[in-house]
Amino acid sequence: MTDERTAELPSLPVLRVTQPNEIPDSGLRLQADVVIVGSGAAGAVTAYELSRSGAKVVVLEAGPHIPSNRFQEHAPTALETLYEDHGNQLNTTGDLAILQGKCIGGSTVVNAAVCFRAPDQVLRHWASEHGLDNLSSEALAPYFERVEKNLFIHPNEPHEVNYNGRLLIEGAEKIGVPAGPTPRNVKSCALSGHCISGCRTDRKQSMLVTYLPWASQLGATILSGTRAETFEVRNRRITAVQASAIDEDGTKKPVRVEAGLVIIAAGAVQTPLLFQRNEIGNSSGQIGLNFACHPSLAVFGEHENDVYAWVGATITAHAGDIENPLKGGYLLEAGMVGPVVTSAWIDGGIGRDFVDFMQRSKKFQAAVTLIHDHNVGRVYLDGDRKQIEYDIDDRDFESVREALRGAARMYFAAGARRVYLPVTRRTTIDRESDIDSVINGLRNGKHMYRLTSYHPQGTMRMGADPAKSVVGPDGRCHDLDNVYVPDASLFPSSLLVNPQLTVYGMASYISDRILARA
Amino acid sequence: MELKLHRRTFTKLGILTGASAIILPSCSEVATAPEGGVRLTEDERELMERFAEVYLPTEGTSLKPRSEVPVVDHIERAFGLMDEPILEQVRIGLKLFDYGSVLIGFHLSRFAALSAEQRLDYIRRWENGIAMQRGIVGVLKKLICLGYWQDIEAGRAIGYRGPVSVAGGVVSLGNAPMPERATQEPI
Repeated sequence: MTDERTAELPSLPVLRVTQPNEIPDSGLRLQADVVIVGSGAAGAVTAYELSRSGAKVVVLEAGPHIPSNRFQEHAPTALETLYEDHGNQLNTTGDLAILQGKCIGGSTVVNAAVCFRAPDQVLRHWASEHGLDNLSSEALAPYFERVEKNLFIHPNEPHEVNYNGRLLIEGAEKIGVPAGPTPRNVKSCALSGHCISGCRTDRKQSMLVTYLPWASQLGATILSGTRAETFEVRNRRITAVQASAIDEDGTKKPVRVEAGLVIIAAGAVQTPLLFQRNEIGNSSGQIGLNFACHPSLAVFGEHENDVYAWVGATITAHAGDIENPLKGGYLLEAGMVGPVVTSAWIDGGIGRDFVDFMQRSKKFQAAVTLIHDHNVGRVYLDGDRKQIEYDIDDRDFESVREALRGAARMYFAAGARRVYLPVTRRTTIDRESDIDSVINGLRNGKHMYRLTSYHPQGTMRMGADPAKSVVGPDGRCHDLDNVYVPDASLFPSSLLVNPQLTVYGMASYISDRILARA
Repeated sequence: MELKLHRRTFTKLGILTGASAIILPSCSEVATAPEGGVRLTEDERELMERFAEVYLPTEGTSLKPRSEVPVVDHIERAFGLMDEPILEQVRIGLKLFDYGSVLIGFHLSRFAALSAEQRLDYIRRWENGIAMQRGIVGVLKKLICLGYWQDIEAGRAIGYRGPVSVAGGVVSLGNAPMPERATQEPI
């Protein structure tokens, strides 16, 4: 199917996607130079970079192709149509929602467009602890620059920073915490505030409107609704990927792609599961381990004046010492989404308390916290069902407390008269002098906080030592000669910052390594 | 009724399962909608309604009246989007909440049949209970919020704009132009 918008915009690259209903019941057999599983940040960049070199590329995406003119700017509809498990992907404890896009373009379609480079301290840690000397800030800089140019990545301009963002910057500056406008991959932002429901007017430079149409224009074949299932393996090589395209009426159609090179870019949950299902690539025993996810909490601060934090860009400003993630650094990102998310992020109480809370929500400044969490989680199969085992580690809970304490201090410094914390029963700080006593009273535990993860990472660890890692420094699997993994699953430790730009940069870097080896 | 508790959500459920064998059989009716959809049982519908009455009382406020929003129908739709194992656990959790009042509150009556004051008290007990109780009451709150606040007019009553691009006539920029070749050479 050709994107229906192209009739109105004929001079721009066209994204052609083959949908399951276009595949005959007998199925499809394709031959290519490269088969890529996943069309998100890593898959799309790799598809374009390899197509540009003249390779014949096939991309398999399990999710549907939903052109942007069908986005509703309505979070529940977006969760239902664009997200993994319709937004119901949870950890095994059931207290952490793990949000990932499941559509053509993957999470880049539904993220908040935030683009930070990997902190230098993290990259140095990767070099010292995992032998990744090749991934210094200097070595990756040209790749980041390339992507930043291609995706219009820039710090929010003054008109893109709403009152909510200005309050965060003001409060942070008053207490001496670094803060500023957040960099995003957006061109001429229309400030709709609906990033996480997909950008209807194509201002966000997601993979749906950039690298995928470019790859498509260069001849890449892109299939939606097609889930990779089985690898055919011979002599340390995957020789073909078998998949199922599932029609709207549930009809399964077999798809088989033979290729000399295989890229698995299905994200930090699905990529390890695919290897586990096929029982390959795991001589290190590390596949699925080392899961991290930046467990995120929201904090609200109530002001006398209306703030309307949901008006304008979704994320406008940030605060925190992001250059020092390994020393308990945290990141606060100013942003709020509509009432469904507002009521999910913070417990406003019961009865009249809750009604009053929602009526006052336009007076709330809001931000979400990110921390550099340890890789304590695990993704695995229980029978045929995925399980994501992850609870906040006690060491990381100290970082959570620091992030909440920092947010409360900034909010009061900016004039808030009350701070709402993301505890599962209404918890507020009513005076600045109460910050420490309330925060120190918080305890780590299951179902204690309103947790969300937007950044799964780390389940296909990259490293120089094949005994301790799954993927080598060039992105190639230690155990498989023609298989590369360029997605966030290869991060040896979590970033603290939003991983989007790091994935783009790493995928560009790995693409160059592939081409250099060809 | 057989309880299958695979998920850690309810790892401490053992405290209640002995009792649940006594209090749950009467609420085990199967409710499956045609065309593969999911229907809430009558008990589940009543539980949601009674919970929403005390959790989100819109009467006499500037909020859109809850009676004008098909909250429970929206929840039913959300049930239809859950994977079977999660749905199964949610349903068990809801039954424990509804019938747990017999044991925990010693009310000798299911939650849905309690007075408004008793229901509020019961919810607060669960909020302060063990992880399993906190988890279940959290699910209930989120379901009610999802069911109510997804209504666009409900959002507008608190100042949220809802969808804006079509109404505002904001045009699409379309796909981005292909990058210039010179900037894309190998590094």
